[in-house]
Amino acid sequence: MENFDAIVIGAGHAGCEAGLALARTGQKTLLLTLSLDAVAFLACNPSIGGTAKGQLVSEIDALGGEMGVNADKTLIQLRMLNRGKGPAVQSLRAQVDKEDYHIQMKKTIENTPNLYLRQGESVEIILDGEYKIVKTAVGLSYRAKALVFATGVYLKSRIIIGEYSNDVGPNGFMNSKRLSDSLKNLGIKLLRFKTGTPARIHSRSIDYSKLEIQEGDENLASFSFLTKNRPENKTFCHLTYTNKKTHDIINANLDRAPALSGEITGIGPRYCPSIETKIVRFKDKDRHQLFLEPEALSTEEVYIQGFSTSMPADVQEEMIHSVSGLENAEVMRDSYAIEYDCIEPTQLLPTLELKSIKGLFFAGQINGTSGYEEAAAQGIVAGINASLYLQGKEQLILKRSDAYIGVLIDDIVTKGTNEPYRMMTSRAEYRLLLRQDNADIRLTEIGRKVGLVTDERYNLYLEKLDLMSKFEEALKTKMKVNEIQDFFEKNGESVPRESITVKDMLKRSNIDAFKIQDEFGIFNDFPYDIIEKMNISVKYEGYLKQQQEDIEKAKKNEEILIPEDFDYNSIKGLRIEAIQKLSEIRPISLGQASRISGVSPADIGVLSIYVKRFK
Amino acid sequence: MEKIIACISTPLGKGAISIVRMSGENCLEVAKKVFFSKSLDYENIKPRYMYLGDFSFDENLKEKCMMVYFKAPNSYTGEDLIEFQIHGGIIVTQKVYEKLLDCGASPAEPGEISKRAFLNGKLSLDSAEAIVDEINAESESELKASLILASGKLFEQVTSMQTNLTELLADIEVTLDYPEHDIEETVKEKIYNKIKEIKFELDKHIENSKQARFIKNGINVAIIGRANVGKSSLLNALLGEERAIVTDIEGTTRDNINEHFFYNGIKINLTDTAGIRESKDIVENLGIERSKKAIENSDMVIFVVDASEQLSNEDLEIKKLLENKIFITVINKSDKERKVEKLENEISISALENKNIDYLKEVIFSSIIKNQINFNEIILTNERQLNELKTCYNTVLELENAREFSLDVISMLLKQLWNNLGKITGNTENENIIDLIFSKFCLGK
Repeated sequence: MENFDAIVIGAGHAGCEAGLALARTGQKTLLLTLSLDAVAFLACNPSIGGTAKGQLVSEIDALGGEMGVNADKTLIQLRMLNRGKGPAVQSLRAQVDKEDYHIQMKKTIENTPNLYLRQGESVEIILDGEYKIVKTAVGLSYRAKALVFATGVYLKSRIIIGEYSNDVGPNGFMNSKRLSDSLKNLGIKLLRFKTGTPARIHSRSIDYSKLEIQEGDENLASFSFLTKNRPENKTFCHLTYTNKKTHDIINANLDRAPALSGEITGIGPRYCPSIETKIVRFKDKDRHQLFLEPEALSTEEVYIQGFSTSMPADVQEEMIHSVSGLENAEVMRDSYAIEYDCIEPTQLLPTLELKSIKGLFFAGQINGTSGYEEAAAQGIVAGINASLYLQGKEQLILKRSDAYIGVLIDDIVTKGTNEPYRMMTSRAEYRLLLRQDNADIRLTEIGRKVGLVTDERYNLYLEKLDLMSKFEEALKTKMKVNEIQDFFEKNGESVPRESITVKDMLKRSNIDAFKIQDEFGIFNDFPYDIIEKMNISVKYEGYLKQQQEDIEKAKKNEEILIPEDFDYNSIKGLRIEAIQKLSEIRPISLGQASRISGVSPADIGVLSIYVKRFK
Repeated sequence: MEKIIACISTPLGKGAISIVRMSGENCLEVAKKVFFSKSLDYENIKPRYMYLGDFSFDENLKEKCMMVYFKAPNSYTGEDLIEFQIHGGIIVTQKVYEKLLDCGASPAEPGEISKRAFLNGKLSLDSAEAIVDEINAESESELKASLILASGKLFEQVTSMQTNLTELLADIEVTLDYPEHDIEETVKEKIYNKIKEIKFELDKHIENSKQARFIKNGINVAIIGRANVGKSSLLNALLGEERAIVTDIEGTTRDNINEHFFYNGIKINLTDTAGIRESKDIVENLGIERSKKAIENSDMVIFVVDASEQLSNEDLEIKKLLENKIFITVINKSDKERKVEKLENEISISALENKNIDYLKEVIFSSIIKNQINFNEIILTNERQLNELKTCYNTVLELENAREFSLDVISMLLKQLWNNLGKITGNTENENIIDLIFSKFCLGK
């Protein structure tokens, strides 16, 4: 039996980050996966980022993770979403080369010291004191003190295409048939969720002349704070729509749709329903948009975003051919729905460690989430915490006010989820502070402390801090009325009577840092991203401060910790519903307790007294 | 740092003195804004020492009051604590409490004062359970109030405001979280039309809630005027009985006389004052002070003049006291030939002949109670709810200032407003917005 410090099961987006975080912090780590050909495999769309997800990628990057770097290496188109709707909701979205993404990530992993990538099917977990033994299907055993589960959607997975179904993983990969039983035997409660992916068609069979083209944006900064060059756009996406004919075909075949006939019992996400669900639920919509996204530069396969279905294959072809531009489309892969086992995430601490068994961590879709970025975000946290656990150090908990990652984890471990959980900017109450452009300011120190932030990254961060404070100085520059008169008039602003600081100029609604830069050259010494960032912090100063104050207000309850073995039943005055919920979730702090649905402010008042008394 | 909390610590309406307490670090800063005394230098304030001074509501309106400062940790809560002792009834006490909230204190949560005392080690462990009972009892009574409220109109309307806002937020949020879907962008004009509607509603409710106090406690009316214009006759006419001494000798009424009658179910509290003018008579001078005070404490004033005489300097002096007050000018002695000029808000009556008295009652009533009111609905609006409504209103003002900002800021303020409304209705789960996004819009991959 081979010994490791830690074992990570699964080398998807969560597993890769967890494995890298462990190895990079000095832990001898085994990264065990069903197939080496599916390392960091983009099983659904060939895209990284998007609203809230772009923020997650930058946060993973700031902590010293790999997703941002890997996306930058392999992206083939980049766009900035929500321009003009405010800095808080702007997010990068990239088309990445799916083949290359897998290859580059695998290469990084293979070249990381302490990290051992190994193909093998884990079938059973045996607890041996503080050790965990992982048995594989071929009869090998591995032993470690810390274990990270990042098995994605592979547990007892089943794909469904119409009347056909097969017990396999995504894309026909082998699934894991026995591991979820082993989890059940450890007393872990399982859920069954569902998701799906659309068909892939051959590029040469698409009539592009009928489609709207969607180009990338020029001159954008990239995901990773380490990437210096501006990414280049190498491909296009296209836009088309379903029509009445498509909808008629679907309606005529609803009896053959397993999602609606009851054949599929797993709970699917509301935010990406299959096309048949959309047509049934939104009858009055006469068309739905479809994006055609190239899968990679090295292949002709094209992904049809918005067309996920579990209809029988013959109906699928008919549906696709009804769409403008796709009349002669050659289908290369069928669309399918997939069902899988995952765990009830409220069994986890906000560190992603299982409450009932020390040293057992969970990350990614096994926790009931959806999305590559969500998975990677949990992966890096689980990896960091497994490492800190091995080092006997205090665990890392990212707060809701620190990062989207904090919101994500707090949501799933506190409220649970009854569908695959997707990150959305609307879930973050401190959205204005949790921006993509300041992820490094928020998280680099934390990443440095846990040992993941390299000197290179740390120095870049220090340089940025330095530039920011120099910029603050530049903002204090006073401008005389005669210097600025023309400028103010040109921009439709009333001319001040006395000299005015640059900062106060910036606060005018028709003036921004770039206009000041063009006119006066004051910010010549600063790079574009610093000017942009500082422009935001001046313009939004009042609102940022307001959110900061809200955080301060909420902080007190976050800091009142509830002992692990706290007996809620012994408290007179708590309502029964509250006792049940609290005993089930076992919140770590009064703050977390207050976010459990069914726990009232009066319950929190009562609880605070006993928590204090318990001390 | 704990926020500063305030509460009325004595039962309302019972006893001659009420105590309003304020606890929390820096609560002295709040006191500095409202309490002034010649003997008090805030820099060198003596703890546990009772200061006599003025509690100031605004520049013109003051109330005599005592203040004691307890320095942490030597106080009931173990924090800095201030007690205001007010000689007076419900209205003054409430006003003091509200003024403290205006100046930065927050309303104490149920049982919070005792809870703080406990957490700061001021109460023994045995008392924990008693405090829990207190929290639950107070929460329950609030809950009961809100349950009764739930069947009432205010609840219905605040819920409907919140529902409207949920829809609006879902419309905005969906375009922020799903920018690539072909969903119509929510234009600012639509947002601000909604805000305008909400502002109007809030304003109405705040007005109504203020009126709730009139329903509970009555309307305080001060009758003023120079000597011998017939103030006491008017009082008697309004009461329908002989109460004040009525003679032709100037200044017969030297003490303030307090009486009340009911009109449309509302208690009208009348204060008949001594005539206001500088007098050498010490007794009467005290009366004048009292008159000024009666004006300050009143919700409205009846300014009485004599129809048969032109306005004297004295009348004009008195009229000056009416600035910023709701008032009616009563032209008494309409049975005599009119010599007085046309005056603001005037009503002609004859107290002696009982002419136009009912009309005057109606005017008194309607100048305070402006809207059609549903008694059951309004009486239940408690101070905390009123305070939440005011917070909501302030957020609306902030929203109006944020018009030029991007949607992320506007949405943040809308959510704040939504949350504040939720504190009244008890619905603060933000999942509602996300649920609505998914049920309303077709989003897919």
